[in-house]
Amino acid sequence: MNVELTLNGRAAVLEARTDEMLLGALRRAGLLSVRETCAIGMCGACTVLLDGEPVSGCLTLAAQVAGREVTTVEGLEGSPVQRAFAEAHGFQCGWCTPGFVLAAQRLLELNPAPSDEEIAEGLGGNLCRCGSYVKIAEAVRRCAS
Amino acid sequence: MSAVGLDPRVTGAERYSADVERPGMLHAAFVRSPHAHARVRRIDVGGVPDGCVALTGADVEPLGIYGCQLKDQRVLADVARFAGDIVAAVAAPTRVAAKAAAAAVEVEWEELPAVFDAVAAVAPGAPLLHEHAGSSAQDAVSIDVRPIDGSNVCHRFLIRHGDAERALRTADVVVEEVYRTPCAAHMPLEPHATVAEWDGDALTLWTGTQTPFNVRADLAGVFGLPEERIRIVAPPMGGSFGAKTFVRLEAVVAALARKAGAPVRATLDRTEEFLTLNRHPATIRVRIGARRDGTLVAKELDCWVDTGAYADCGPGVATKLGYAGVGPYRIPHVRVDSLAIYTNHPPNGAFRGYGAMQSVWASERTMDLLAGELGMSPLALRRKNLLRDGDRFATGETMHDVHFEECLRAAADAVGYEQDPRGKGLCVLLKGMQTPSRAQITVERTRVGYVVRSASCEMGQGIRRSLRLMGAELLGCEPGQIEVPDPDTDTSPFDTRTTSSRSTHMMGRALELAVADLRAGDGERGTGEIVNEGGLDPDTGQGVASSHWHQGAAAAHVTVDEHTGAVRVEHLHAAVYAGRVVNREGAELQNEGSMIMGLGTALLEGVLFADGQVTNANFSDYNIPAAADLPRRMTHDLIEHEGAEVHGLGETALPPVPAAIGNALHSLGLHVTELPITPESVLDAVDRR
Repeated sequence: MNVELTLNGRAAVLEARTDEMLLGALRRAGLLSVRETCAIGMCGACTVLLDGEPVSGCLTLAAQVAGREVTTVEGLEGSPVQRAFAEAHGFQCGWCTPGFVLAAQRLLELNPAPSDEEIAEGLGGNLCRCGSYVKIAEAVRRCAS
Repeated sequence: MSAVGLDPRVTGAERYSADVERPGMLHAAFVRSPHAHARVRRIDVGGVPDGCVALTGADVEPLGIYGCQLKDQRVLADVARFAGDIVAAVAAPTRVAAKAAAAAVEVEWEELPAVFDAVAAVAPGAPLLHEHAGSSAQDAVSIDVRPIDGSNVCHRFLIRHGDAERALRTADVVVEEVYRTPCAAHMPLEPHATVAEWDGDALTLWTGTQTPFNVRADLAGVFGLPEERIRIVAPPMGGSFGAKTFVRLEAVVAALARKAGAPVRATLDRTEEFLTLNRHPATIRVRIGARRDGTLVAKELDCWVDTGAYADCGPGVATKLGYAGVGPYRIPHVRVDSLAIYTNHPPNGAFRGYGAMQSVWASERTMDLLAGELGMSPLALRRKNLLRDGDRFATGETMHDVHFEECLRAAADAVGYEQDPRGKGLCVLLKGMQTPSRAQITVERTRVGYVVRSASCEMGQGIRRSLRLMGAELLGCEPGQIEVPDPDTDTSPFDTRTTSSRSTHMMGRALELAVADLRAGDGERGTGEIVNEGGLDPDTGQGVASSHWHQGAAAAHVTVDEHTGAVRVEHLHAAVYAGRVVNREGAELQNEGSMIMGLGTALLEGVLFADGQVTNANFSDYNIPAAADLPRRMTHDLIEHEGAEVHGLGETALPPVPAAIGNALHSLGLHVTELPITPESVLDAVDRR
């Protein structure tokens, strides 16, 4: 089937099977920042923004995004949050980074000045096995107003 | 705004092995044993649909066997030695189709008795995994291996230094305890992914690996090809921590691609990750004796190291575990017996710390027991016995550039140990680096700067940035003018491997030589090589364990809810000797990451089995630390000295964390011997107190 949506700010059509998750459909469309990792919505490495809300690409059917707006990190085009991650060195291997950037973006929209506890909780759906959490939190603090 | 110039890890543009696409590429799926130990009687691939290709035992019959330290593994198992062992593979146009085709393969099994505990596996009458453990010893590479034929022991490492048994009889105080550490999963977020493509009899692999040259050598043996016909390209890894070392999927994917006549990619599911490589479970018995004044006189260590169904680098892990368990102390009499033992578990291999965590847990917990018996402060007992410059270690080697005292003091001071030791624990450790080894690097001038080629693999530890920073300093240019391509065995010079926190230390010095060579020559090209010599006699443990010692300490301050058993880490500190830091942020990230992985090791992580089947093979039931799991305070030191040499530090802060936390509990009268420290085990310790 064809799923019409707004993808990274532009009208787009995703080809997908009816039983297919958004993760696979986005990767086939070339958006390789969305990464298959745990496949059960625990790690956050396939996080995308669906109408601005972080969701797991591995738990969202491609069909569910018809007519809606999907943002991947490719659509951020060097946002202040991305720059803050780069400046704070908030990553090591980089596999989880797109998911963290998107989750942080939404956290800061909802709470422009989060406390350390609120940062840890707000990013609780994303795991970093390299253990870059200290500098990830620093990146979020850099963006806080 | 624009993403131009931003690090590709932030823009999502970083490309890993799982992103590699080749024209006409097929996808692999594996047929795995449901039994922990079973012979394949018959395989029926009649149900595999047209358009799919199946690889079975008959196809791999002419191929060689492989293994980095003992050659004991076939490309497809004829006898499955763990639940999950691969006995057939299929290639199909999509992953979904490949999985369906693999499910259509029918296997007739003859079940065999299995053994799941390393201690039980060396008892008389235990089922044997490999009937001729010793017969392949002559094929061993990289270390001198001592398998015991007719047993499940694939390596026996001994230290014989003085006469520990006799000396213990003369000690004023002797304490003894047995410790256990579980199997653990590396859990890199990126799963294993490998793409194989043949062009005639030349093979190219794109694979997430820390060991491209080892993989090339082992595959040359499998396919009977000169090494030069095999090309390994190693894209950056989305984490590894030891999981992506030596041959993992490369042999079977290459064999499948050759049969299919098309490129094939395999990407593992998370469940399969738990069946690919884990951390060695260990049982360790420590006996240590001291004089009344706290002077250590003798130590005995017996280590049963479960290497799973195949040796992999278990012999090396048992060796390093064995000498790391001696600890950074002057002990005149030491006996170590460390056995790497086959069991019907999935293979265990390199894991950040490489055996050190297991024996440091046992050894450093015992130091606090001894301090208690002596009525001494655990800090004072350690300081009294620490190795200092010029001392001889139990391996006979003389220690240089020694900084244990500094590390221990920094850790103790950070948590205010001397002011009030209640709820606080310490740990100090030594950890070796791959010895012997060889590192080569080249520098070539380009139109815009330089290209630096080496086989040092990027897995998040920041080696590309370290090489750029060191290169810029040496060459007098900007880091951005230095290109560091992915390792490629066709174009990168030889390196032993990217393990044991050796790359910055070894490649950094090789780079200095390469730049000097470039300057001395035509200014266009330079090469540099650093070789470190040494090694241990496996029968005596004498020799040079490490040309360069990783030195560190940790301190923990904990509080315990004695009604729920919950342990809260109020403050965790690690002090690591860095010598000279070349990549500041990278070094901090490695230290913090090691501490956080150590925290998971201490409190959360263990692979669970029932009759050899992994029962928590997912991100929901196997917990790794999230941001909210961090200690309330987490601090660390990178100890530096003017003019000092660069020390590796990618792992040092992990092994001391569990023992620091265990000793903090001990200060509250709670004695735990097994990892992870669960609320249940804490409640048991409360009951026993």
